[in-house]
Amino acid sequence: MNKIRKRYVPFMKAGVQSLIIYRMNFLGFIIGGLIYCFVMFYLWRAVFDSNGGGMFLGFSMTDMVIYLFLSNTTSQLTFSSVSNDIGEEIKDGSIAMRLLKPVNTDLSYLFNELGGVLLKLVIFVIPMILGLEIYRYCVTGTIMFNAINFLLYVLSAILAYIISFRINLCFGFIAFYVKNLWGIGILKNSIIGFLSGSLIPLAFMPEVLRLCLEYMPFASMSYTPVMIYMGKYGAYEILFRLGIQVVWAVLLYGLSKLIWLGAIKKLCVQGG
Amino acid sequence: MIYAEHLRKEFKKIVKEPGLKGSFKALFKPKKEIVVAAQDISFHVPKGDILGFIGPNGAGKSTVIKMLTGILTPTSGECRINGKIPQNDRKKYVKEIGVVFGQRTQLWWDLPLQETYLVLKEIYEVDDAKFKKRMAFLNEVLELEKFIKSPVRTLSLGQRMRADIAASMLHSPKVLFLDEPTIGLDVVVKDNIRQAIMKINKEEQTTVILTTHDISDIELLCDRIVMIDKGKNVYDGSLHELRENFGQTRELVFEADDDSGLTEEQFRKSLKLGKEDLVIERDKNNFKVRFNSAKIPVGDMLSHTLSVTKVKDISVKDSDIEEIIRNLYRQGEVSDE
Amino acid sequence: MRRAWKIYRLLAAQNLKRLMEYKADFLTGAISFLVDQAIGIAFIFIIFTQIPQLAGFTFEQIVFIYGFSQIPKGLDHLLADNLWCVGYFIVRKGDFDKYLTRPINPLFHVIAETFQVDAIGELVVGIGLIVYAAPNAGLHLSVWTILLSVIVIPFSALIYTSLKIMTSALAFWLKSSGFIIQMVYGMNEFSKYPTTIYSFPVRIFVTYIIPFAFTGYYPALYILTGNNPWFNIGGFLLSHFLSGTREYHHMKVPVHKIL
Repeated sequence: MNKIRKRYVPFMKAGVQSLIIYRMNFLGFIIGGLIYCFVMFYLWRAVFDSNGGGMFLGFSMTDMVIYLFLSNTTSQLTFSSVSNDIGEEIKDGSIAMRLLKPVNTDLSYLFNELGGVLLKLVIFVIPMILGLEIYRYCVTGTIMFNAINFLLYVLSAILAYIISFRINLCFGFIAFYVKNLWGIGILKNSIIGFLSGSLIPLAFMPEVLRLCLEYMPFASMSYTPVMIYMGKYGAYEILFRLGIQVVWAVLLYGLSKLIWLGAIKKLCVQGG
Repeated sequence: MIYAEHLRKEFKKIVKEPGLKGSFKALFKPKKEIVVAAQDISFHVPKGDILGFIGPNGAGKSTVIKMLTGILTPTSGECRINGKIPQNDRKKYVKEIGVVFGQRTQLWWDLPLQETYLVLKEIYEVDDAKFKKRMAFLNEVLELEKFIKSPVRTLSLGQRMRADIAASMLHSPKVLFLDEPTIGLDVVVKDNIRQAIMKINKEEQTTVILTTHDISDIELLCDRIVMIDKGKNVYDGSLHELRENFGQTRELVFEADDDSGLTEEQFRKSLKLGKEDLVIERDKNNFKVRFNSAKIPVGDMLSHTLSVTKVKDISVKDSDIEEIIRNLYRQGEVSDE
Repeated sequence: MRRAWKIYRLLAAQNLKRLMEYKADFLTGAISFLVDQAIGIAFIFIIFTQIPQLAGFTFEQIVFIYGFSQIPKGLDHLLADNLWCVGYFIVRKGDFDKYLTRPINPLFHVIAETFQVDAIGELVVGIGLIVYAAPNAGLHLSVWTILLSVIVIPFSALIYTSLKIMTSALAFWLKSSGFIIQMVYGMNEFSKYPTTIYSFPVRIFVTYIIPFAFTGYYPALYILTGNNPWFNIGGFLLSHFLSGTREYHHMKVPVHKIL
């Protein structure tokens, strides 16, 4: 354990530092996300108004606000740029440098990002949750914060991050075949945005589609933690959902390993 | 042809204190600091000359080149090239110059090299007949035909540099600015590039300003050098003069049979020389003694050496230019302190 | 002018040649934007399975507005995509010097250099949606509405381009302004839906300050209703000229003063 700490903490520090250096870009993404949330907020408000107010498919407007902002926040938290990093490294050949270091490659990527994830949790997610709870208090007049749900949310968000990391790891290897990483990034983000329910709550989707999506790994990336936080799941269902997340984390771990091994072989064949 | 008079360039830089607090401070109450990239630089270059523009990293070379090419506007001072002030009518002016930044390329990365020239032809309004002639000439000098059909990204560094020089020469500029044209190239390719520069200069009377860190570039190409350090002129004159004035250092190289008593201290003591006048480097029994021949004639030095030790092999070398320049830089540092 | 056009054609042709070399990349780019758009539509569709009207607009009308808003966006994306690179890295890496050593306008040069065919995704979706929605959207068709709405498209695209020029030029002071472009550009989300759904300050903001509402909703509303041509079309022309001239100077100033 100590050995792991010593070896990988430098990666983590480097990750945090680069986040601080690029903090303006980081801020830009957060503000961009918030603008998007506001557009969606107004849109949903219009939808609720057009529906005659009250409930819409089991969501109140307050629920909707919490859902919108929290799912955006959660996707930002679990967002992994590892696909880009790997892609760039494959493109410019610097992946060879990473292979030369005496560390486990995916762990080094993971730690590179982990610092940033923790930072985001502290400076972005927690203030956001605080703000949302204040909003909820102002609207409903009661404090609805539930510490257990919050802790379960954090647990589920961590699993969500691991899944997101693994999926992105797999995506990154596409760089071996396609040069337009940027296009792929847009494609990936919009697909994940849709399938993970951060755009439209999966609960609103047609029954069959919803059932399919709920079992796919994408739902685990933001929908599950947010629904847990909002108290939409009972105790049994929470366990079940967390279980699905764990299963996906393990499966994707295996998949990314397989692709990685294949990729290394390809790297050797190409001569770096 | 090229006149630079008391060029000075200042930049404002926002100084940020470390930490989050510092970032906030910088945001609301930025503390500005003025950085002087070029303090007072003057020189002039007659038509058809090749000028070596040298100086250590951060001396302000690039800043001066950028002022001369019209990219930066000097804070004070003036430059005139062909009687034009670069900043006044940039578009007209840049038609008369060619610029190569060795660290960057101006070629279109994904396209066959040829395409770059076709685009540049339009940008610089070169007519068809002239373009044809020009390409033939550049082909001959820079040997482009082998790779002119390949995408730029597949070119080797040396090929790319040749292609870049051709790109900057397409519109027959009167002045060519070369910012480190041999950086990162191997000896053979470097030589190749130098030959080409020389040929272009000779056949077209193109005035060339060249910055470099490679002393052999200067020795082989430049009629004159201007050396700057910390934004000021340090030296302006011919290479020959430089050697005359500063090149009193000689190097005595020998292999000693036994090394007893061969220390710097002893040499200095018995020859009554100061620290700056004599330096010894040794590698096992191989000695290199650098000394100031103005203080002690070469003959005296030789006889002294032979008197204190038995040598297997001995030779005296002329000061090389690199050494002189190193000394000049060092002097700059001393006077600065 | 003729020379500029010639250079532009030449550069665009180079881009197309490059495209032929990277067909797979072009496909991924275009498909990516297509999918991105399709998901936006799926979203509207799912909402309308639950409600008949949104802020007084039918499904077809909303789709029409959405589609209309994508055309100027796609046009700007097609023609002026390189400004993103100016903001993100061309200035920071010092590659802007190259444009300053050429005898043509650097702003024109930098814009002419890329011809971003990925934008086909947006254009195809935009046109497709308009064609799909037009018959049932209850358009107020007349020579005037059609003429004016066609004229308005390139100018709407110029709103995007102007905002991008302005924000990317900030890189001359800040070294990198990508995040600012990102933020301002991101507000185009507001143009996809009727401005009446927003609260008053937001509406003022997207109409008068960052006038994205004029790239989608207002002109589309004019075709839908035929009302208020002076505001819906004219107001935007005004805002364009104001911002256009401002941005051009904005770009010019730093090049001469700062650099």
